[in-house]
Amino acid sequence: MVVGRIKIRVPGTIRKGEVIPVMALVSHPMDTGLIKNKAGQIIPAYYINDVDIFYGNERVTHCDWSYGISANPFISFYLKADKTAPLKIVYKDNKGGVYQQSVQITPR
Amino acid sequence: MEQEDKGPALTRRTFIKSAGVAGAMFLAAGAFPPLVRPALAAVKGENINEVLKRQFGNRKVSMSHVTINAPIIAENGAVVPLTITSDLPMNNNDYVKKINVYADGNPEPYIAGIELTPANGKAMFAMRIKMRKTSNVRAILETSRGQLYGAIKPVKVTIGGCGG
Repeated sequence: MVVGRIKIRVPGTIRKGEVIPVMALVSHPMDTGLIKNKAGQIIPAYYINDVDIFYGNERVTHCDWSYGISANPFISFYLKADKTAPLKIVYKDNKGGVYQQSVQITPR
Repeated sequence: MEQEDKGPALTRRTFIKSAGVAGAMFLAAGAFPPLVRPALAAVKGENINEVLKRQFGNRKVSMSHVTINAPIIAENGAVVPLTITSDLPMNNNDYVKKINVYADGNPEPYIAGIELTPANGKAMFAMRIKMRKTSNVRAILETSRGQLYGAIKPVKVTIGGCGG
């Protein structure tokens, strides 16, 4: 499995000032550190614990996560599209991995 | 019988003592590994009441304005879809600052803390969580004016999703 592949979905046509739904998916195992593998060894904890969502230069949303989030985390939230700017989502995991992707939001 | 030696000779008694101390140190090191944990993560083994007490103290939580959308029966505890919505205003003076999400029965009940801003437009966040067993799911919202709003929803879990 490729860790950190991100998909972001926003509506195709956006009117200025509209509140749009945003959906994002990232591939990540989100290991809890509680499960043993077949050899009886504990699979070490490996999960995303920090998510930052930027719209232009402004940080609109920030998440602190524990390992209680499911594997391949899916999130959905709203955003007020009032300017032409990139929407950037940055995921950080507990082993120092940083995964990010951005989509351009151009309201008409 | 007379004791002839008070030095650190390896008698049966001192051996047992030192073995016990070494064992205790080993256990302590194993139980508290020096993990780098996020600032808000829970202390290991805390239950839901202790977590809420530590985070909010005795502040009043009013059970209104918050809706949790979750399945009544979740067949797979590893993937429980959850949507938290609120009809609270999201303008610059008064907005939902933070959504805290808990699952009572999990080894670590505090699952997520989501900080919103007025740029979100609507107070909503959806995610998928893991649940070990049938228990309540809670959401506690904190507004920028310092008020707390909450909601509780019971979810039945057929197969637990945390392992262990």
